[in-house]
Amino acid sequence: MTTFRFDGTTYTAQAGDTLAAALLRNGIGLVGRSFKYHRPRGIMTAGVEEPNALVTVGEGGRAEPNTRATDVFVYEGLVAKSQNRWPNLSFDVGAVLGLAAPALSAGFYYKTFFGSAKKWMFYEYFIRKAAGLGNAPTLADPDRFSQRAAFCDVLVVGAGPAGMQAALDAAESGKRVILVEQDNILAPSLLRDRQEQDADWINATAERIRAAGGVILTRTTASGYWEHDLVTLTQRISEPGQIPAQGVAQRLWHVRAGQVILATGSIERPMAFAHNDRPGVMLSQAVRTYVHRFGVVPGKRVVIATNNDDAYKSAQALKDAGAHIVAILDARPAPAGANSGHRVYNDAVPLSTKGARHCLKSVSALVDGKAMDWDADLLAVSGGFTPVVHLHMQAGGTLDWNEDAQAFIPASSRQNVTTIGGAAEPQAIFQMVPVSSPKKSFIDFQNDVTLADVDLAWAEGYRSVEHLKRYTTLGMATDQGKLSNMAALGRLAEKQGVAIPEAGLTTFRPPYTPVTMGLIAGASAKDAGAHVRRLALYDLHAAKNPIWQPLGYWFRPRAYPTGGETLAQAALREAKAVRNNVGMTDVSTLAKFEVSGPDAAAFLEIICATTVNKLAVGRGRYTFMLREDGFVFDDGTVWRLDKNRYLLTSSTGGADRMATHISYVRQFLCPHLRVSAVNVQEHYAGIAVAGPQAKAVLATLIGEEPPRHMSTVPAAIAGVPVIILAASYSGERAFEIYVDASQAEAVWAACEAQVNEAGGALYGLEAMEFLRIEKGHLVVGGEVDGRMTPHDLALDKMLNKAGGYIGASGLARPALSEAGRRQLVGLEAIAGDIPEGAMLIPSEGASPQGHVSAAAFRIIAGGSVALGQLTDGFSRHGEILIASSPTRGQQARVRVVAPHFYDAAGERYRD
Amino acid sequence: MTELTISTLPAAPLHVLEIWSNAASVAKRFKAAMGFALPATGRSGGNDALRLIRFEPTVWLVEGDTSALSGILSDGGAVTAIGGGIVRLRLSGRGWRTLLMEGGVFDAESPTFAAGCSAATIIDHVNVRLHVVDETTCVAYVPLSFSQGLLHFWEQAAESLVG
Repeated sequence: MTTFRFDGTTYTAQAGDTLAAALLRNGIGLVGRSFKYHRPRGIMTAGVEEPNALVTVGEGGRAEPNTRATDVFVYEGLVAKSQNRWPNLSFDVGAVLGLAAPALSAGFYYKTFFGSAKKWMFYEYFIRKAAGLGNAPTLADPDRFSQRAAFCDVLVVGAGPAGMQAALDAAESGKRVILVEQDNILAPSLLRDRQEQDADWINATAERIRAAGGVILTRTTASGYWEHDLVTLTQRISEPGQIPAQGVAQRLWHVRAGQVILATGSIERPMAFAHNDRPGVMLSQAVRTYVHRFGVVPGKRVVIATNNDDAYKSAQALKDAGAHIVAILDARPAPAGANSGHRVYNDAVPLSTKGARHCLKSVSALVDGKAMDWDADLLAVSGGFTPVVHLHMQAGGTLDWNEDAQAFIPASSRQNVTTIGGAAEPQAIFQMVPVSSPKKSFIDFQNDVTLADVDLAWAEGYRSVEHLKRYTTLGMATDQGKLSNMAALGRLAEKQGVAIPEAGLTTFRPPYTPVTMGLIAGASAKDAGAHVRRLALYDLHAAKNPIWQPLGYWFRPRAYPTGGETLAQAALREAKAVRNNVGMTDVSTLAKFEVSGPDAAAFLEIICATTVNKLAVGRGRYTFMLREDGFVFDDGTVWRLDKNRYLLTSSTGGADRMATHISYVRQFLCPHLRVSAVNVQEHYAGIAVAGPQAKAVLATLIGEEPPRHMSTVPAAIAGVPVIILAASYSGERAFEIYVDASQAEAVWAACEAQVNEAGGALYGLEAMEFLRIEKGHLVVGGEVDGRMTPHDLALDKMLNKAGGYIGASGLARPALSEAGRRQLVGLEAIAGDIPEGAMLIPSEGASPQGHVSAAAFRIIAGGSVALGQLTDGFSRHGEILIASSPTRGQQARVRVVAPHFYDAAGERYRD
Repeated sequence: MTELTISTLPAAPLHVLEIWSNAASVAKRFKAAMGFALPATGRSGGNDALRLIRFEPTVWLVEGDTSALSGILSDGGAVTAIGGGIVRLRLSGRGWRTLLMEGGVFDAESPTFAAGCSAATIIDHVNVRLHVVDETTCVAYVPLSFSQGLLHFWEQAAESLVG
């Protein structure tokens, strides 16, 4: 025996019980409250289609709201709570809404949009308060979620007798087979129906499938069918709320199948009659499942209402279990059911039920035109069968109408999918039309949608079934219309005076059953994204406890505070060290490409908009790259390492984009060139040493005279080969040291020791930003924002006059050099600090003429400065504007100046 | 229980070899000098001193001593060092195929993905190159910056396989 709790009371269950079976075993009929009217609801089904018995299972971060009690298997310690009730399930204050049902009919909340907005503000509070069923947990889910790929020749969905046989045939013909079953046992319908194929057949067949290499997954639902026969499976490794044995609670499978066989069976339909939603009204096959599979008899005095033969099996099962079959209401004319041995009423359809909150008390019916009543505590209904065609439709298939079964069945398909078994050949039924009052005749139990709601929607002009669905909320929420769609279509067709197939069909969308958000997130559920990219020197940085800055997928040190410094204090100290002495920083994330071959220079002159082939060996230059439309999309430096070997660097943020661009140019535009362009971004770790003392520090490190500005030499530091590039982003004399990342720690340590010896400091991204803004250097994603041409950024003098680079043609368009374009400017604060991102306006209330792309403080002299884009900015130096940020409530008066606030002549980085 | 061990191999020189022209004559010179042919796409070839794994039509990943390659290539191609940016993770035990399906998109469970085969694929958003050494060993070449994250991902996934 297993113990579990429901609404705070401890009960016992038997091994293999679903929560629904266990509740019925303990005599609990009332399990939930309906969404809108808070009507008492019990257990209607024994499967995933359950609309009523929705509970929250689990506690803390593991709590799973809106779990179907029919789709969770009891484990020791399971905790379940009913939902949508206050203060408790038996006495729910919300049930008073039932009295207001006439005002809460279909589409009532749309009608609250009528009138003034003020009225809606009033309604909104109450609508939001009432919305939803269970509450989402506020704690993080402690479990893990796996996502796994799988490939197979044949995927069989549904391990009923047809599915198992199909899987066996495929596996034994040498195919890779995956068989999935959403239940926790194979062939549950055989257990329900006690057919000739018994447990021995099930076990033997499963064994043969596995022996032939097939994979069988239980507690696994095919939740979506996508393009190219990709099917997603959701596998429950542990039950909702259960602590998973291996840490993984659920697995999302992405299965690419050669062929898909759908053996998904069908779902029994309820019937529409007044008060058909009471606890004690249950689907006939569900009753049979509880009796045969779980050994639970859900009622002692039973009325059965049917329009088909299948329900007679339930009658027999109940009788064998000791229940009294009071009456069988068969909608078909005599002699249907005549030989069943039960008291059968033909031409009989249910009219209504009476009962209490927890149970059913009586059933009334119209029998051959006359009303009759029976005392009963269980009403088992079977209104026919709806084939599960969801996956077939998601695969782009079409449906045919089966008149005998009054159901849609799979027809053609655009993908390699076949439907077999009950889903392809549903049982024949007798067509019946509801005769009861439509007001309490529920068709969508979960959303409290009645026949009267469909009638109202029709009366208000809703003709399309898709509009009807949205207006009434029919077919939404966790059951997605599994029980309700056919009833609604039938009613709509009746109103339209057409056959059901002509009434239309709603769209079947994934997932087939609800999927938890954690499963969709997979391993990223904890980090909300992909892996963080770690610097090669991560451990060395981490030891100094820096403030980290996310930069794309990277995390880089933003500053290294000491002695309780704030970010701003630390960054200013670090920047001053660079201006006054020497600093060093990690620049490993810069994009780097090694370009080799006799045509390397020609290739680079296609990528870069500047000249390259005039570089002497050992020299480098600033460069930038254009998109085909002529706009700047990245910048960097290019260095000639050897006769036929170059190193190209570009921005960190644009690294992946640049790699794609270079690959595109190499593979598609220039396949004829004798060149190899290899992404070496991660091969080389990079260390920048900058400041007035940088040259002396480097000389000590490499034991020779460092290269002059924009020159490169190979060297060794701490015995490790390095490449030294003399380039400056800070505005000071500076060097970038590139080293094989696997040996970078030794080089960093040697550099740091020397920098410390010189009284310098490490600096992070914040100080780097101060330095480059003051110097007027661009950053991709800031000043280079995809809308600026080389002219706009005052880079046009560097363009390769011979042309031939990507973007040259686009750049020649006259509009790109006309007046009125935004141009790069500097901004000096006259009063106040310049807010980053502020718009530039000539006066209060005027239209923006530009914006601030980056703002900082003068490192030594103090005062707020910024870079920005301003309409016709080159010709507006000296103008006074307002930098206004209404979202932050900040404003500053600024003067437009040249975008160089420090060493405009560039004397500090030249010897 | 699935047997599986994940270990990080020591840093070693790795290169990219790209042939841009005269592929047939370069291949001929290569075979004459090295004693084995340049492997086909999706395959590896070589010996203890030098192993090439072909991941793209004109590109091979090279492990080992590359000193002879420049001469063989002449003006027909180039060799570029990339080893600093790659971490080699060895997946040992029969569970490696299942492990690679976690967060993967490639059919590592296919019997045709056998010893000597290679593949370039994405696993949990990370670009990974795979080389099947033998039925119980696969080496994954992982970008350095993603290696810690992927190793952690694999170690967690392995727990649920071997537990």
